Amino acid sequence: MSSAESDPVVDLTDVRKTYEMGGVVEALAGVSLTLPRGSYTAVMGPSGSGKSTLLNLIGALDTPTEGRVVVAGREVGTASESERAGLRGTDIGFVFQTFNLLSRLTAVENVALPLVFAGVPRDERTARARELLADVGLADRTDHLPTELSGGQRQRVAIARALVADPALVLADEPTGNVDTDTGGRVLDIFDDLHARGNTLLLVTHERHVAERAERIVHVRDGELVRIEELAAEGPD
Amino acid sequence: MDPVESVRIALRSIRSHKLRSTLTVVGLVIGIASVIVFATFGASVKAEVIDDIEGSSANNVYVFATPEDDEGFEQVIQPVFTEHDVSALASLPGVTNVIPRGTVDANSLTFGNDTIARQRVTATTPETFDEGSIVAGRGFRSGTNEVVLNERAARSFDENVTVGDRLTLSLAGNRTRELTVVGIVNGTEGQLPVSNFAEGARVYVPVDPFYRTVVESPSVGVRQRTYPQVTVVTDPTTTEATKAAVESYLRERSDARQLAPAGTALTARTSGDFVAQVASVIERITRFVTGVAVIGLVVGAIGIANIMLVSVTERTREIGVMKAVGARNRDVLVLFLVEAGLLGAIGAVLALPVGLVVGYAATRYAEVTFALAPAWMATAVVVGVVVGVLAGLYPAWRAARVDPIDALRYE
Repeated sequence: MSSAESDPVVDLTDVRKTYEMGGVVEALAGVSLTLPRGSYTAVMGPSGSGKSTLLNLIGALDTPTEGRVVVAGREVGTASESERAGLRGTDIGFVFQTFNLLSRLTAVENVALPLVFAGVPRDERTARARELLADVGLADRTDHLPTELSGGQRQRVAIARALVADPALVLADEPTGNVDTDTGGRVLDIFDDLHARGNTLLLVTHERHVAERAERIVHVRDGELVRIEELAAEGPD
Repeated sequence: MDPVESVRIALRSIRSHKLRSTLTVVGLVIGIASVIVFATFGASVKAEVIDDIEGSSANNVYVFATPEDDEGFEQVIQPVFTEHDVSALASLPGVTNVIPRGTVDANSLTFGNDTIARQRVTATTPETFDEGSIVAGRGFRSGTNEVVLNERAARSFDENVTVGDRLTLSLAGNRTRELTVVGIVNGTEGQLPVSNFAEGARVYVPVDPFYRTVVESPSVGVRQRTYPQVTVVTDPTTTEATKAAVESYLRERSDARQLAPAGTALTARTSGDFVAQVASVIERITRFVTGVAVIGLVVGAIGIANIMLVSVTERTREIGVMKAVGARNRDVLVLFLVEAGLLGAIGAVLALPVGLVVGYAATRYAEVTFALAPAWMATAVVVGVVVGVLAGLYPAWRAARVDPIDALRYE
């Protein structure tokens, strides 16, 4: 693995994002942020602070109004819609608060879905999906539909899906928001484990104790990055 | 994206809304099946009719006048062929017989106490009767008061008419004639093949003495019997060549060419010509009726479009998720198009047996022999799929354009 300084997974330079909603709303007012490879970062901020916008930009779901957003070596602002879709499919893994599994697909099919769009052959993607489900402790639940799984199990399926394409970056938006404390703890344990294995993680939360599991906390308010809090190093080996 | 996978995902989605998908498919089945029914029925009628015509004499050339720009069978009931024309045609090479036909202006026909008004009476020559079509008795002789009836005419009186019975024919100007029935037939030579199926009651009398329509022949300058239709019986080996000779005679030397009213043309047709014409007419009718059935297909297509639009709205969040995990607009478009196309294909496949069964029932009901219309069947199936895809285009385009950020927020 190359050094974190020379090869960051995410590099934001003076990023602005404005929306036209009656008037001009500035969601992000010049944010610069670098996520080194293998880092574990939490983003905290009150609602409306711009953390969702930040997540959408880093997740290549949106493009900046000004500034540069580079994810896994690709500039998001100049990429076409289809290139951004490709980027999301292969280099970014999403974990949502509400899991967002497809209700008609089984656990293994949900996990394999990003590989479907990436053009991976069926056998290969199924094998890979089973492997990841086993990793998150769901080896015996592969052919269940999401409705047949508990909240925690669903979130673990979603995490497996986020990892299936071996992405450069895992984005998690309030991943513990819809599960009870115990289950949330287990989800965070999985993230710790992913971090320990060298994955780059970005986690958005409004809960301090969740954010504290990361290496550092980025505080966002009114579209600006107000403070970066470095936590006691407990990083990867 | 893997096409097999898109079909799997689409099928999953169709199956998850069983009732909705079924109703949508039923709409399409009705549309496609009705196209198949009408096409099959049309093809069956056509085959039957052509069979009928081909059964009639292939070596006859039918000569009559038609309105100039008419491609159909409309016959101008205007006497144009003089006796001079009849004998000139008879002397052409390859002609074995010439049978003129005309209509006698009769008021009524009486048998016993039963009188039939406005009975159509055909004046023709004895050659019109061939052995094969005489059911009882014989043909009439020229210059006599003999009459021949077809079976339908013989049955049209209270009591069935048989050979030897006497009929009273009441003619224009209060003249009456006593007729002796000498034969019953089930068809005659020289009758236009198209009149075979719509076989009405027919009464035949000899031209001499009954046919009194006379016109002065321009070539010989005397008044002669003049007929609206003449049938040239040819040597079967030279029918086409003889037809050409007949046509050139009509065009260049005939009295008819001068007697034919403006706006009409003299026509010589063989059975084959009639077959082609009847076929084209039936085909046109079939196409029209089938076209009407296509409206049903359009309704089916609207059903698909409607359900796909609902589906796009319902699955907005799902679309957002797929896009977040790497689906391109194109992938989403294909997924929805495949789903719509599958609905169309399912409808088409189910419509095929339904259409054939109903089509078969229709032919049985109409007492025609069942015939398949494979081209139409293939078209109906292809159209079903195409209609599905077309109906799915707009919904799929809407789905492809869903903004993943909005979609992921969408509840």
